Amino acid sequence: MITEQKVKEFLQTGGYIADDAIATAVFLALRMEKPILIEGPPGVGKTGLAKALSSALDFPLVRLQCYEGIDEGKALYDWEYGKQLLYTQLLRTQLDNYLSVSADLREAVERLSAEESLFFSKNFLVQRPILRSFLSEKRSLLLIDEIDRSDDEFEALLLECLSDFQVSIPELGVIEAKRKPLTILTSNGTRMISDALRRRCLFLYIGYPELEREVAIVRVKFPDLCEDLTRKMVEFLRKVRELNLRKPPSVSETLDWAQVLSILKATQLTPEIVANTVGTIAKHQTDLQKVTELALQELS
Amino acid sequence: MERIIVSFVAELRNCGIRVSPSESLDAVQALGLAGMEGRRLSRQLLRLTLVKNVHDIPVFNEVFNRFFSRYQSIDPKADIPDLLDAALIEMEGEFSYLNQVQDDHDDGGPLLKFDSDINPEDLTELKSLTEIDPDDTDGTEITVQMKGYRGKSKAPRPSRRFTQNPLTIELNKSNPVDRGITFTQEEQAAMQEVVSRMMLRLRKDMKRMKNNQNRGKLHVIKTIQKNYRHDMVPFQVALRRKRREKPRLVVLCDVSFSVSHASRFMLLLLHTLHNQMLDVRSFIFNREVAEITDLLANMPVNDLMEVIDTGDIVDLDANSSFGKVFLSFKKKYLENLRGRPAFIILGDARNNYDEANDWVLDEIREKARYMLWLTPEERDTWKRGDCMIETYGAYCDKVEVVKTVEDLGLFVEDLLRDIYADQAHPLDRKRLREAKEAEVYDSKDYYTRGRTGDSQPSFDPAGRSGW
Repeated sequence: MITEQKVKEFLQTGGYIADDAIATAVFLALRMEKPILIEGPPGVGKTGLAKALSSALDFPLVRLQCYEGIDEGKALYDWEYGKQLLYTQLLRTQLDNYLSVSADLREAVERLSAEESLFFSKNFLVQRPILRSFLSEKRSLLLIDEIDRSDDEFEALLLECLSDFQVSIPELGVIEAKRKPLTILTSNGTRMISDALRRRCLFLYIGYPELEREVAIVRVKFPDLCEDLTRKMVEFLRKVRELNLRKPPSVSETLDWAQVLSILKATQLTPEIVANTVGTIAKHQTDLQKVTELALQELS
Repeated sequence: MERIIVSFVAELRNCGIRVSPSESLDAVQALGLAGMEGRRLSRQLLRLTLVKNVHDIPVFNEVFNRFFSRYQSIDPKADIPDLLDAALIEMEGEFSYLNQVQDDHDDGGPLLKFDSDINPEDLTELKSLTEIDPDDTDGTEITVQMKGYRGKSKAPRPSRRFTQNPLTIELNKSNPVDRGITFTQEEQAAMQEVVSRMMLRLRKDMKRMKNNQNRGKLHVIKTIQKNYRHDMVPFQVALRRKRREKPRLVVLCDVSFSVSHASRFMLLLLHTLHNQMLDVRSFIFNREVAEITDLLANMPVNDLMEVIDTGDIVDLDANSSFGKVFLSFKKKYLENLRGRPAFIILGDARNNYDEANDWVLDEIREKARYMLWLTPEERDTWKRGDCMIETYGAYCDKVEVVKTVEDLGLFVEDLLRDIYADQAHPLDRKRLREAKEAEVYDSKDYYTRGRTGDSQPSFDPAGRSGW
């Protein structure tokens, strides 16, 4: 039996430091077979969680990146039009033979329509991410990334897939998932996601991590950076987040910065170093100034 | 356990969180799977399954603490079935737990006892009696703010924007910091919300007419490319896309003391719209007129409000004069207005008995697609004093009273719809107009219909997921 503690441990083997809320959510999603909807500011490890889970659980990762205008042809399935056309061309002689037996046109049409399902079978079906993850022999991890970028129509399309883990194809009928995939949806909250979709998911909000967890995250990724510097760096970044910047630095920026500092072989945090590397943590002109000012105040 | 969850869910609903029955089922299932060891874990389980919105989390935490506060003292090693039995007995009578909560904090505070036969309606009534939090009403209730001027011994400095209601003034007396100029985070977020909801509604309608909008001449090359697989038999036709113009707006916004509370929100709305989809030119005026389009686009809105407030852009201490403003607008800007914009004037049309110069409006009208006047004043005061709105209104397509941010939002949405409809294909135009007439209820109030009006905050942040 899996417990939250175990979830936490094996996430750590995948290089992901989870807090209690995340571990509980993953545990529940695995046991209840329900999708998780993760919201949070960009760069706090929403997609990272999915990747870490897929490597830790050894579930193949099926990723669907959402964008405006994505539709079922891109997400669920599509008919392989060219192949259908090619096959009818190649099978023309066979078809002629087959149909020549029939006495009149009516009978020919009937004979042909009896075989119609041949051309709308799984041979001609292109599996797109969602269907692929449903049909995978092994239990897979379906990541529907940045769902807030898609349109309402696509959201409605997902409802059936997420609540019943099935896809309805008019020509083939309902296809059910062989193994229900562990599904993770991420959102940056740029658009309101409908309540219908929210209702079908467990809702997990990942915010900026606490001091200890963030230090641990950096330690895992960059063990060669000395602990004292890591702590200083994270503490400084936490102050930066309170500055009311246009784009506050998140965990991914912390990691970028840690990488930069370890490449530069820095041993302590000085205003000069911050000024030289500020581009990794602040991403707007006005933010740059604020951060360098803060560095002068705090670190000198 | 089910009963505890059900009454907990009922309490959550009472506090404005929407929880569906299937979500409560999930909660029960989750508790069954993960067990109930420890408060932290149970709280996480309930939060994961019942709360689907970031903004509901604080409310959830509060309700959770209140609801389960009486379990704290119980020895965690106690037998769980026994504990549940005890809980069930206590839960008899829907609100008996409120008794319990009150008992816990019974040292000297105001004594409020609920009987168990109290019903939810009574509770909501009680809630409406509680003090209104000034921070909540500050943003939207412009009308309340207007009342703030009456009964004050000393008028506030005219060039200081005055946006607080009487209650706040009382509270802030010890602390004379004027915090009315800039927008709070919540106000900006709420405005974002109004605008994004508006955009969503608009976009839905626009999508419907998109196909027809594409209708133009045949695009020969694209058609051939598209029908390559059909042996060049043109099954699918590709048409040239027509260029769609952004709606153009020109806004003249009175920033004088008498309407500052309304213009403040107009400016914020413009600022928010500006980044989204429109081509807006914004002007502010009091006795003179100045363009602030660039400032709006490049400056954080709070900084801009401060700059305007200092009177650097237009002098705020002079008496406003619409006649003068129109004249100087004609001289300076009218020549280079392009593309038949919709023209919106926000002001109370109080001319301080200056020359009316209403013939200028006639000239502006020729350049404008629409001409609209927004005033924060009630209709019955229009004829009093120096109000020129009857004269000016004659040149406008519409004169509207706009008092709250919602009014303003709806008004702008209506206008944009009209502009789009004008550019649309005739078929679509008819459909758009019909859709507008058929719109009897607002999708916003879907969840709150049938509830008492008071329980609904004026700016509903529920369902929002931006931060």
